[in-house]
Amino acid sequence: MSASTSTQLAVHVRAVTKTFGTGEAAVPALKGVDFDARQGELLMIVGPSGCGKTTLLSVIAGTLNFDGGEIDVFGSPLHAMKPRHITEFRKRHVGFIFQQFNLIPTLSCIENVSVPLLINGVSRRVAEQKAAAMLDQMGLPGRGHERPTNLSGGQQQRVAIARALVHEPRLVICDEPTSALDKDTGGHIMDLLCAVARHPERSVIVVTHDNRIFKYADRLTEMEDGRVQRVHGQGGNHDLIE
Amino acid sequence: MYHLALKMLLGDRAKYAMLVGGLTFATMLMTQQSAVFFGLLKWTTSHLSNMRAKIWVVDRNVQQANELKALRDTDVNRVRSVTGVAWAMPIYVTIQSAKLADGNFKPIMLVGLDNTTLVGRPPIMLRGQLEDVRLPNSIILDELGIQRLSVGRAKPLGLGDTFELNDKEARIVGICRADRHFFGYPYAYSTYTQALQFAPKQRKMLSLVLAEPAPGWTAEAAAKQIQLETGMKAYTEDELFWSTIRWYFRNTGIPVAFVSIIVLGFIVGTTISGQTFYAFVHENLRHLGALKAMGASNSLLARMLLVQSFTVGFLGYGIGVLLVTLFGQVVLARGDPPFMLPWQLPAATFAIVMGICAFSALLGIVKVWKVEPAIVFRG
Ligand SMILES: Nc1ncnc2c1ncn2[C@@H]1O[C@H](COP(=O)(O)OP(=O)(O)OP(=O)(O)O)[C@@H](O)[C@H]1O
Ligand SMILES: [Mg+2]
Repeated sequence: MSASTSTQLAVHVRAVTKTFGTGEAAVPALKGVDFDARQGELLMIVGPSGCGKTTLLSVIAGTLNFDGGEIDVFGSPLHAMKPRHITEFRKRHVGFIFQQFNLIPTLSCIENVSVPLLINGVSRRVAEQKAAAMLDQMGLPGRGHERPTNLSGGQQQRVAIARALVHEPRLVICDEPTSALDKDTGGHIMDLLCAVARHPERSVIVVTHDNRIFKYADRLTEMEDGRVQRVHGQGGNHDLIE
Repeated sequence: MYHLALKMLLGDRAKYAMLVGGLTFATMLMTQQSAVFFGLLKWTTSHLSNMRAKIWVVDRNVQQANELKALRDTDVNRVRSVTGVAWAMPIYVTIQSAKLADGNFKPIMLVGLDNTTLVGRPPIMLRGQLEDVRLPNSIILDELGIQRLSVGRAKPLGLGDTFELNDKEARIVGICRADRHFFGYPYAYSTYTQALQFAPKQRKMLSLVLAEPAPGWTAEAAAKQIQLETGMKAYTEDELFWSTIRWYFRNTGIPVAFVSIIVLGFIVGTTISGQTFYAFVHENLRHLGALKAMGASNSLLARMLLVQSFTVGFLGYGIGVLLVTLFGQVVLARGDPPFMLPWQLPAATFAIVMGICAFSALLGIVKVWKVEPAIVFRG
């Protein structure tokens, strides 16, 4: 694949439905979602609370089963794959960034960042070397042996980004990556994620409430009540972004 | 990943200490109490280790070594005449009062040995000559006896010293080492005829007959033959040992008491370890869920939990057994309380502790397997 194919689809979602619970307690969270993400772009999913953003992100990442429809992520048809293969898919191809960072407090930063490599069977020595290099790239040189709890929120999120990227995944998934951070720190984190997305074989999907960061999106998908309502950006309309 | 699993565990100092401490405690409780129990049972068979013979002939109704019923003097010869018996020697066992310097009395277990062969002699002579026991009024006393009878004297009893045994003078010609009796009596040895003189006269004075199978005969076969021909009860050493142990199991509350303590140790260990480990997993569930989201398989997570659980298991067990061994060293040097630590005991405790760890890990594994990796996105 080359840069000119950056409009090729990375994630292809068609008519996906997901209902939590059954009977009277049933909550239809996704009501037939159609959605695409392209290679080399940073795509945002926005919308009111409870509209199904996190649910959509979870099914795309392969961490949640869905009821109907089709999801294809970089050629992996999730709807047709066995759980074991979906786990394998997450291990190889998905990097996760969470609102609460989810770093393990008893491990050093290097150890935290080395986890995806270790899960992928990389030796401890190589994993820690790569982790240290990735922390350098994230602007945290020399902090690798500290516990994440000794770092500021922005620094912790950088560690989390390093962890999400260290095994060079094609899909990077971020749920509210800036909502635990102040404006400036959030801006720096978004700059980083934009740079991460400038990779021809990668796609970054960011779920957010935070309208201060909408401007970082290449495209912006608006959700409402379990459906995709509008897509803004290249080829769509740009008003939300501006 | 396993080194990270260990680091996660060590990082939670409180739970780590609790887990190791709980398993150490359980190991100690189970091993130490069992060792005391075995030691106590061993004391019930002290006659066997202190007199040593392949065949023990006793009254027909005797079921255990500490409850002997007198035989007739002629019974020795009846045993000697049995085919399959190489030799048979009389033993007189009696409990007599020894007088202390301060006027008090202490009971001692007096063993009268066949005058010529001294069969049934003490296992280890520490001082003096065994043969001197044939001199008039002579006695060989074990270490405990020396200690007990020295009470109230300026210096401990030694060779050549005398004390009053049942109003008769007894001279110490030897000091031996003997296993402790269940009731705590010291052992004293004299010749058979001398023992009869120390003890008040009774109609029947023969306690038991020690015998050796003839060449070509096993102890079992010879014992069977003795029973057949004399109507007395003949045990091999092994049979009497187990018959004695069985008797104490059936007729005393000792096993129940010990088994309850061992069960208690098991329950305490399982509860502390199971609960703490479960809490540990519960608190780390978010992180374990994140690992799962990142593609850690259920089996990898299970192996991580097993590594954590068995690490504290090995540590707790090791410390526990070490402490019990130290306790045993002190106790064995003092001779009291009873203590016996055959290798089967720590091995059994090991198996139990590993079982506890497997169970604890399993609780955590079930919990982790049920975790939806998507929980990591929820607040
Ligand atoms: N595990 C679950 N069990 C039951 N209902 C759920 C579960 N997860 C989500 N829901 C429901 O599904 C709907 C969509 O939830 P989701 O978390 O995807 O919304 P969201 O857009 O991410 O909201 P927010 O902006 O508040 O994070 C909500 O009504 C929510 O209550
Ligand atoms: Mg959400």
